[in-house]
Amino acid sequence: MDGVAHHLAFWPLAVITVGAALGILVSRNLIHAMVMLILSFIGVAGLYLLLSAEFIAVVQILVYVGAISVLMLFAILLTPRAARDNAETAMRYPGLILMGLVIAATVFVALETDWSVVREEPVTESARVIGRSLINEFVLPFEIAAVLLTAALVGAVALARRDDEDIDAHEESLTLEGQDDSGGSS
Amino acid sequence: MSALLLAAWYDLRDLSGISREITEWVGNWGPEWLASAVSGAIGAIAILAVIGPTLMLLIWTERKVIARLQVRYGPNRVGPRGLLQPVADAVKLILKEELVPRAADKWLFFLPPVLVFIPALLVWGVLPFGPHMQVADLNVGVLFLLAVSGTNVLVVFIAGWASNNKYALFGAMRVIAMTISYEIAMVLALLTVVFFTGTMSINGIVLWQQQEDLILIVLLPMTALTFLLGATAELNRTPMDIAEAESEIVAGYHTEYSGMRFGLFYAVELANTLVMSAFMATFFLGGWWLWGLDAWVPSWIILLAKTSLVYFVFIWLRGTLPRLRIDQLMAFCWKFLVPAGLLFVAIAAVERTLLLEYGWDRTIALPVMAAINAAVTVAAIGAYARVTGADARGAPAGPRMARGRLGGLRAARQLAQASSGGD
Repeated sequence: MDGVAHHLAFWPLAVITVGAALGILVSRNLIHAMVMLILSFIGVAGLYLLLSAEFIAVVQILVYVGAISVLMLFAILLTPRAARDNAETAMRYPGLILMGLVIAATVFVALETDWSVVREEPVTESARVIGRSLINEFVLPFEIAAVLLTAALVGAVALARRDDEDIDAHEESLTLEGQDDSGGSS
Repeated sequence: MSALLLAAWYDLRDLSGISREITEWVGNWGPEWLASAVSGAIGAIAILAVIGPTLMLLIWTERKVIARLQVRYGPNRVGPRGLLQPVADAVKLILKEELVPRAADKWLFFLPPVLVFIPALLVWGVLPFGPHMQVADLNVGVLFLLAVSGTNVLVVFIAGWASNNKYALFGAMRVIAMTISYEIAMVLALLTVVFFTGTMSINGIVLWQQQEDLILIVLLPMTALTFLLGATAELNRTPMDIAEAESEIVAGYHTEYSGMRFGLFYAVELANTLVMSAFMATFFLGGWWLWGLDAWVPSWIILLAKTSLVYFVFIWLRGTLPRLRIDQLMAFCWKFLVPAGLLFVAIAAVERTLLLEYGWDRTIALPVMAAINAAVTVAAIGAYARVTGADARGAPAGPRMARGRLGGLRAARQLAQASSGGD
């Protein structure tokens, strides 16, 4: 973190990230909050890029901006009235106090900790290094995560799928209606 | 490897020489960060200078070629052979009234026409126009392409939601559903490419093709097809443009956008098509390299020629194929492209291991592998066509009148009965 270029890149990114995060809190419209969250994700990706973590930065965009936020938007859309109406709550002031305490604790820890500074050069081909360690040292956690995700996928399909009996009953009702007003033409 | 040597600044075969001269001059005179800033700015200006005029030409080309495919004349009134038609279109769009629906979300409505340009321009940064003509040769170039082009979905969603119009929202939902599905197919296709080339740098993929003296479409035909179809879906072009199907949902996500705001969406659609053609040419047709011709002809002209070829295929698809239904599109992706993509990931993994770990002779092994992959591709397409294609039930032998209120579910029931036991 030295040199003019680093400051020129770091401060706008920091302002975008934190400003957008504040925007999430202030915004009363959930979709607006979502847009702010996406902006914040993009700012974080820029900060990763500044730390020479190209792979993490691109994956941040790919996963958080491209996938997670779309999922959240779908969830908001499927919740009735959620997008338009973010109502008042009695927990507002207790929430503010809690938020102030959390911020104070975080700032205190960040300022008081004796951060260890790494003097090594950053890894140039982070994707290759991450890929190699994923299939060598961390192959078991990697496989477990893969199985977990597959299980979640299968579970989602199983939940969303209607039973065959339901579909048959539905079709039966449609057919009966059709026959009723067609007056028997075959 | 003559193309890899640094050329003099006046050498038109490699325009990066000019940028390098300027950057070095700034580096000698000013601080280091200014030099990299200037280098980036030159790249950005060069890209904008290429895209602007090309877009004008593309509007004309697209309309003219589609007209020819449909046995029409196309634009031929404004300027010689209608060449000034895009200018007339732009003037018309700028002069039109910009309507904002009263119920639209006030500030989100204005963002999408601007935001939609960002991913469209960013992806040009990793496109290599020549051995050194690339704004940023990222180690994760392929992922960058996927990540940045994927954010387009969000912009479309914001446009559809902020319009507060049910057709716009339907269009946005369709775009999201389709893009997410086809993105998986595209990721699998690019994964196969990365397996073979062993690099995610886009220039590295071109260099691999140069080194092996082989363009990847020969080695991986199914992958190239998947990428082409995935790109068509991501671009919302006609066989897959259910997101803006006029006959169903007016104009999809940009229903409420009028005047130049609509013009911006239209321009970005063409710009995206152009950049996807360029990436298709880079990944599967060898990019700026063409069997030694790049030593004589400027590499960027070779890339532009290949891009035009792919672009023509896109126009051809648009001009000849009818629009598909959304269930057909989703079924095609999930039941054909994704399984076929997975199959080819497995095949590519085996073949790559044979090449690298077992050290098979490349001059013999690569053609054999290309032949095997082509055979598997034909078999896969044939099998899918046999399973889902039209059969005798769908195609009656003679003319037939629909009597009574036959249709929909009842017709399907009758057909099922007829096929199982009736006849």
